[in-house]
This record gives sequence, C-alpha cells and structure tokens, in this order.
Amino acid sequence: MAARLRWLNLSGALTMITVVGAWQLAVDTGLVDLDYLPAPSEVAQAGASGLSSGELGSAAAHTLAVSLVAWLIALVVGVAAGVLIALWRPARVTLTASVEILRTLPVVAFVPIAVLIVGLSTTMEIAVAAWAAMWPILVNTRGGVDAVPARLHEVAAVFRMTALRRVRVVVLPAAAPLVLVGARLGLSFALIVTVVAEMIGNPAGLGYQIVRLQQALRPDEMFAAVVVIGLLGIGLNAALLALTTRVAPDMFEPGRRA
Amino acid sequence: MSAQRWLASSAGLLPLVGLLGLWELLGTADSPYFPPPSTWWNAVELLNASGVLLPELLETMETFALALAVAIVVGSLLGLAIGALPPLQRATSPLVEFCRTMPSAAIVPVAVLLIGLGRSMAITVVVFAAVWPIVLNTAAAVRSLSPVLHDAARTLGLPAGARVRKVLAPALVPGLLLGVRVATPLCVIVTLLVEMLTGTGGIGSLLVQAQRNFISAQAFGLLVVVGIFGYLVNSSVNLIERRLLRDWPPRATAR
Amino acid sequence: MSTVAHAQPAAEGAGPPQPPTEEQALGYACRGVTVSMPGPRGKRAILSALDFEVEPGEIVMVVGRSGTGKTTLLRVLGGLVPASAGTVLLGGQVVSGPPASAVTVFQDYAHALLPWRSVRRNVALGLEGRRDCSRVERDQRVARALEVVGLAARADDRPWRLSGGMQQRVQIARALALQPRVLLMDEPFGALDAMTKASLQDQLLEVHGRTATTIVFVTHDIDEAVYLGDRVVVIDGQPGSITQEIPVDLPRPRDQLATKERPEFLELRRRVYDAVGGVHGG
Repeated sequence: MAARLRWLNLSGALTMITVVGAWQLAVDTGLVDLDYLPAPSEVAQAGASGLSSGELGSAAAHTLAVSLVAWLIALVVGVAAGVLIALWRPARVTLTASVEILRTLPVVAFVPIAVLIVGLSTTMEIAVAAWAAMWPILVNTRGGVDAVPARLHEVAAVFRMTALRRVRVVVLPAAAPLVLVGARLGLSFALIVTVVAEMIGNPAGLGYQIVRLQQALRPDEMFAAVVVIGLLGIGLNAALLALTTRVAPDMFEPGRRA
Repeated sequence: MSAQRWLASSAGLLPLVGLLGLWELLGTADSPYFPPPSTWWNAVELLNASGVLLPELLETMETFALALAVAIVVGSLLGLAIGALPPLQRATSPLVEFCRTMPSAAIVPVAVLLIGLGRSMAITVVVFAAVWPIVLNTAAAVRSLSPVLHDAARTLGLPAGARVRKVLAPALVPGLLLGVRVATPLCVIVTLLVEMLTGTGGIGSLLVQAQRNFISAQAFGLLVVVGIFGYLVNSSVNLIERRLLRDWPPRATAR
Repeated sequence: MSTVAHAQPAAEGAGPPQPPTEEQALGYACRGVTVSMPGPRGKRAILSALDFEVEPGEIVMVVGRSGTGKTTLLRVLGGLVPASAGTVLLGGQVVSGPPASAVTVFQDYAHALLPWRSVRRNVALGLEGRRDCSRVERDQRVARALEVVGLAARADDRPWRLSGGMQQRVQIARALALQPRVLLMDEPFGALDAMTKASLQDQLLEVHGRTATTIVFVTHDIDEAVYLGDRVVVIDGQPGSITQEIPVDLPRPRDQLATKERPEFLELRRRVYDAVGGVHGG
C-alpha cells in the first residue's frame, strides 16, 4: 500500500494542485492583475468550449497526426542510417563528419528554409519535423549499435547469419535501450518542431491556434491550447514508455523512468 | 599519425562538400528554391554591407549569453535545493517534468502576452526552456555526493564554510558543467526561435524576413551563419569545460 | 549542524613541530553508549549500552562480524554520529561533533580524497586556514607526513593517478599532518592486496612507535588484529555490544614473519576467531 502511494507521488500531486490553486486565488483576488493572465477556471472553461466546438480537437488532431507521421519517417530513416553508419565501415568513414556538422545545426532555422522550398503546407511541417526528429534517433541508434558487445557479433558469425538477419535478430534487440532513448527524444523533437512550423508557416494545428489567439488577444483560449500541447507532449512520452515496457519489460532496469 | 587521422575524419566531409559542389554546378543563380552556394555568400555579404548583419548578430549573442547566465544561476540554485532535500524533489518532480517537456515554442505567445515584446521576454522564455538540464544535472550531482567526502571534511576539522567552499562545491562542478553543456545548444535554439516567432531582432528575425521576402539565397546564407554561430558557441563551452575540469579524472563518457 | 568549540591543540614552540608525547596522548572513556538510527521500520538500535575504554597511546583493534556496529562505534568515537544515550569522553571531554584531537581514516580512500587537488594539497587540507599553523609550518608538516608514508616523490600528482595503496597512504598522510593524538581507522587496508597491506601495517606501527598516538582500528582481518593491537575487542549481537576483550601480550617491535610464527600469536588468533564466530553460530 505504501509503495502504491509512493508511486502516486502524493506530495507531487499536492504541489501541482497548490500551484494551480494559488494561481486561481491570485487572479480572483486581484493580487496579480496582469492584463492577459486568465484564471485557471477561465482557461478550463475556454478549453471545454474549444473542445465542444471541435476547434481545439481538430487542431490537436492535426498537430498529433503530423508529429506522429514525421516521427515514423524519422524512425525508419534514422534507425537505418544509424545502423548503417555503425556497422558498415565505408559508410562510417564517409558520413561521420558530415553527420556531426548537420546534426548540430539548429533545427528551428530549417523551418523558414522548408517554407521557402516546400511552401505553406502540411508536407512542409512533416518534412522539417522529420528532419529534426531524425538526428537524435540516428545518433542514439549509432551509439546503441556501437555498444553491442563484440561477442554478440561473433555469435552471429558462428551461426553464419546474413547481414540482414544479424541486424534484425542480434544487433537491434541488443541496441534497443539506446534506440528507444533516441526514439523518445525524436518524438518530443517532432512535436516541438511541428508546433514551430505551425506557428511560422502552415496555418493549421495547435501552433497556429496559439499564435492566432495571441494576436486576437484571447488569452484564456490561448492558455487552453498551450495546456493541450503540454498534455500532448506528456501523453506521447508516457505512451511510448508504456509501449516499450509492455513489449520488453526486462530490457530496462526495474523502476527506471525518464 | 595525426595527419592520417585528420585525413580520415575529413573524409567524412566528402558527402557534404560533394553535395554543395554538385549544387553549385547544377544550380542556376536565379532558381527560387535552390540557389547555388556561391549566391549565399553574396547575399550575406550584401546584408553585411548594408550594416544589418552585425547588429543583429550581436543582439542574438547578447540575448543568448544573458539567458545562459541567468539559467546557470537559477538552475544551479534550484538544483542544489532539489538535490539536497529529497522531499522537495518528490514534491516538485511532476511540476518540473511538465515545464521541462512543454515545447518552448508554445511558451512564446504566452510570454508575449504577459511580458510584452522585448529582451526581457526573450530571456524569460529561453531561461524557462533551458534551465532544466542544469537543474536536473546539479540535483543529480548533489545526490551523488559521496558521504565519505563529507565525513572526511568533518573529521579534518574544517569549519562549515570551508567544508562547502573547499570540498562540497568543487565536487559539484563536473555535474553542473554537464548540465551547462546540454543547456547551451538549447539556449541557442530557443533564442533563435523567439526571434523567429516575434520578429523583434536578431538573426532569427532576419531569417524569417528572408523567407517572407522570398530571398532564398539570403535564407540559406543565414542558415550557414546560424550554423557557424552554434558551432562556435559549442566549441567555446567545450573548451571552457575542459579547462575547468583539467584537474579532474577524465570522464568515462565523453560527448 | 552545530559548530563545536574545539580545544585548540597545544601551541607549538619555535622549532620543528613535536609529535605528541606519552603525556599528551589521549584516551577514551565510554559508558552506556547506545546508538539508534532511523530505519525502514522505525528506529533501530545499532549499539546498546556499550562500555568501552581506550588507554592513552594504546592500539585497540575492534573486530566482529558484518553488521554488528564496528563502524558505528568508530563513528561515535570520531564524533561523526551522536550517541543516542550514554557518555563518550575523550581525554575527559565530552565528544559532540568531530573532536580536534582525533582524525578518522576511511576505508573508501577514493572518495575521501579530493580528485581536483594534488596529493600535496590533499594532505594540506586539514591544516589550511588554521590560525595556529603558519604557511611555512604547514608546508613543513605536509612534507614530513609525505615522507613518513613514502610519497614525497608523488606530491604533485593527482590522487587518481596513484594506485589504491598509495591513495590510502595519502589519506593517512593527511591524517598524520594534523599530528592527531588519536587515529581512528575504519578498515583502512581492507581494499588492498596482501603485500601492500603488510607494508602499510608496518608503517603504521612505525609511526605509532615514534609518536605513541592512540589508535582505534576496525578490521575484519583477525590476523591483522592480533598483529597490530595491544588489545582486541570483539563486538557482537544485534544491537551490538562488546562480548570479549582479549589483551595481546606479544612483544614489540612486531615482525610480519617472526611475530606470526610465535605460538602465542597462534593461540591469540584462535581465541579471537572463536570469540568472533562462536557466540551465535552460523
């Protein structure tokens, strides 16, 4: 019982409630009277009406869909490239330095470029978000494959596995923990860059909503959209974590989060 | 040996150089989407000549530097508190997680509404986004402080002030620096982001302007400028870290 | 954390610093010491109603099986842990907080040394900022301590470049530099190989022979206990208390080969083994 309570983190929940409560109190009593700071109750109301009108929901769906598609693309490309660079010497030699340069380029700077080349469209969002998400996936996959003990490669050779089979059966499972770290990072990058692309380029999704509502000076609806984005981020991360622990519960140290 | 290694590592640049070279050869100067690399240089030169580039670059650097400094101070204090007091860590952890995972782009309009346009808004947003690695790494460093170290300081009769100054604080430096190393590129990105979203100045604004005016060569050129800026910042931080940690045993995991 | 008013060590005269003489050595008198620590199910007594005495200049070895509270006793003597009940007197004064005249040497030498300081500056750590020790004197004492442990040549290296045995010697040098009247050692040689251990044991005996410092030494190694000590004290039980005290009457100076061949040594060894393993069986 005590362990379950610990897992719920009562004091943590209490802190959140206190923060929200204090915020509500501060605005209600006029203690904090910023022009554009709504009370949590107003945010909740705006959120409820936004959801019922379908506006908030469809924007969230758009952002979610774009992030997921971009992430899946990044996953395929990033894992493949990471495995290739780690395992195939010619690829490693010819690509490493370029990878190091490209991956440290600030990804947000690519959004205007993407808008220029691809135009204001969902395709642009997906393209730039996939580009952003690919790098942590690639780097972590490469690291994970590098960390596969030589002994396992020897085992694969003893069993005369083809390269493809070796990757599928030995390398990827062994590298899985780090690959999954990269996948989680990539997912959050995809979400972030999607939102940025929506704010600068494509007039769709939660990013566009937030900017629009800010410019229209409707802070309560804007805050509601921001909260939805935050929940989206947490939800995606938690979902991925749950999926991986469901699929491979023994692969990770017990009780390890983050 | 090092010449050989240099050659080997620059072999990895071939794809990039090759791509740029191909682009240069095949591209036409007036292509709206893919102007060749030579035009980038011209476009940036133009900006520089008109006296626009340097002040904006300076503004970006200032915002970045100020925000990083604030993030280090705030982050290390918060991290110290959280690391030293486990109940505080448990109480604040959901809040920290929520703030940490909130996409910083979404914070910008909020900050604009509440604080208005300007540098203080920019710094607030950047600090909000980049402080968390410092907080978490400092807290982790505090938690992993060896009790033997503290006991040794006590048994040698060091008064409390000397214990903190000479033993406990230096022991936290590697962990703190790790957090700073992670936070630095984050600061660069979010600074650019704020500038791009609010158009109030800095390289980010220039970049968005180039996009809006459909001057592709300028946009690509500014991308390269941004890349160089990021590279220089990261190199500086690495150099500083190496200098500060030269007395420490080498870290097991580089990178 | 309360700051303790430490008794200032006797002001040294003009010449080179004198090591503590027989009269200046201190002893312990502990009565009814109980130590409880918070545990997963409420407070747990580690030591209970323990009476313990150490004569000035004596080498007392504390042995016992794991978990019986040997380290806790040492920490109480060192002022690192307060006793929940009973009195702990060092040289007639109550111990509350780390006393100025006693220094603890820890088993975990890697974490007890500061990795960012050179060996020399590590040894100097306890002497810095003290009003009764000038810069010149501090450097002298550090150099002397390093000579005693044989590390003068490595004074400017970082501790992490040294072997385990050397690092432990640095920790001992650091303690010796303070010229303490009491040395509290918590399994200091436990992590070292046999040859290094033997060498350090003899170095410790040599230091003791010259300075007559009181030493309380916790160890798992029964051979070590009989070899080094004037008296072996056995702790057993949960909560722990002293179950036996065995005086060690072997002649000094001790020798790794000659002393260990004596029939008295073997007999004492057997007695200590029985005392440690015999009481509760298993």
